[in-house]
Amino acid sequence: MSVLTAGEVIARVKANLGVAWRDTTYRDTFKFGGPDTVVRGIATTMFCSYDAIRRAVEAGCNLMIPHEDTYWSDRDDVSMVSGDPAYKLKVDFMREHDVAVFRIHDHMHAQRPDFLYVGCARALGLESRYETAPQSHHFTLPPTTLGELATTFQKRLGAKALRVVGDPKAKVSRVQLGVGYATPNISSPDVDVVVSGEQQENDGAFDSPAYVLDAAKLGIPKGWIMLGHTVSEEQGMLEMADWMKKFTPEVPVQLVRTGEPFWAPGEGK
Amino acid sequence: MTATGIAIAPRALMAGDTAGAINAQEVIDRIRKSVGVDWKPEAVDKFKAGDPQTRVTGIVTSSLASLEVLEAAAKIGANLIITCEPTFFSKAETPLASDPVFQSKAEFIRKHNLVVWRFSDHWRLRSPDPFAQGLAQQLGWVKFFDPQNPTLITIPGMTLAALTTHVGKSMKIRGGLRVIGDPKLQVRKIALLPGSTPIQVSIKSLPGADAILAGEVREWETVEYVRDTVDLGGKKALLLTGRVVSEDPGMAICAQWLNSIVPEVPCKWITTGDPYWRPVA
Repeated sequence: MSVLTAGEVIARVKANLGVAWRDTTYRDTFKFGGPDTVVRGIATTMFCSYDAIRRAVEAGCNLMIPHEDTYWSDRDDVSMVSGDPAYKLKVDFMREHDVAVFRIHDHMHAQRPDFLYVGCARALGLESRYETAPQSHHFTLPPTTLGELATTFQKRLGAKALRVVGDPKAKVSRVQLGVGYATPNISSPDVDVVVSGEQQENDGAFDSPAYVLDAAKLGIPKGWIMLGHTVSEEQGMLEMADWMKKFTPEVPVQLVRTGEPFWAPGEGK
Repeated sequence: MTATGIAIAPRALMAGDTAGAINAQEVIDRIRKSVGVDWKPEAVDKFKAGDPQTRVTGIVTSSLASLEVLEAAAKIGANLIITCEPTFFSKAETPLASDPVFQSKAEFIRKHNLVVWRFSDHWRLRSPDPFAQGLAQQLGWVKFFDPQNPTLITIPGMTLAALTTHVGKSMKIRGGLRVIGDPKLQVRKIALLPGSTPIQVSIKSLPGADAILAGEVREWETVEYVRDTVDLGGKKALLLTGRVVSEDPGMAICAQWLNSIVPEVPCKWITTGDPYWRPVA
């Protein structure tokens, strides 16, 4: 039986990507282990959380392909966390189980289509026949209300801690989809509702919650639906797993869900 | 009360107004003199709308000068609004020339002769931390508040589930409260970190606390840090209220303080309220 290394898996990712690899990325690199790790199975995931690693190992996987960070900062700055007990326990677990971690973020967003958008639109039921122009992530839906739209999305995703700003009765139809922290601006005249993962609430480049509050007061139909960072992008890691299966036939590939981190009052855990 | 009448009267009529009058610029000068923090010219604490020479009829503080807050202020005859967060939808508060929301808001401020001044950077640096103090006050924990260590409070033990209910009710949170941790966890020591909290602060605060009570954090930082800590056996929790909700009580403290340094006019805190709601499952 031939041996598949993590380095070979990443070489195949680069070869199949369809966009040139940028070596300047600080994100898309090994975060633990390295190219020589012998791969038994591959797990894509959203955040490389301890619990996701543990469940991946249980499922026979030892190469983690997360979209986001492992050590709680975008640059995976280990110096900041090396004294923390959670860091030590997490790293010890990975070493013990011969786990390698390779993050894929920038190149997933550069790829066409961007799997993160494909996955999120699929999970939300935003069908391509509603998309205004291919890969615009702008959808014109049959007229509805912000309240009905938010309820539909919540049910489809099973999200517990989804948050909405705006008048639930506002009549809306034009939805701009964002994922992760790439939240579009709600002030665009051709957008009624922004659906995305996470955005700074105030004091940023554009403060959408404050804008939607004032729009609602004025009776201008605008809505802002935040799914949470994980919920918005995790769907795309299923696409990523399916894509990788095509060129890593030697080992099993699967999505191991990080899962929504929060619970909200009223529903317990 | 004649305050409302004065507020909407043409400014020219007010020149050489009654003795004891104070204009917006003079209020701000007094804040600068009294806040006990070195003034930084690069700070965001500046006039955002209105004429600084406007005679002040009353002051309102809030976390966010939303249209709702501006309207409530005008209704009670106050015309100086002191806000913690930006009024015009970005840190830069760039004018949006053809935007209906921006234009309507600017027009409302003009029409009611309001003055908006942002107070964030310097208020945050005041000691003891007024935002942490405000949270303690709002949560009924004044007697547990330690001015020497304002961001760590020790309360009689309660479960995380009970704490979540208490925080939600005391802060009138509609849909913005999000929690990580075992609902049965006993919580006594709470890190009070209102506003926006970077991972460096969370990493420093969590070891000495059972729970972090914060406004907003980045989900790829503190949320995952606490999740991992809990999943690795740490008896810890995180409660996120939303940024505006978390800072509002600190602006209540601001109103109390302004009443002491600007006795000429009444000052009142008007809550912004929780911008978020959540669909009922």
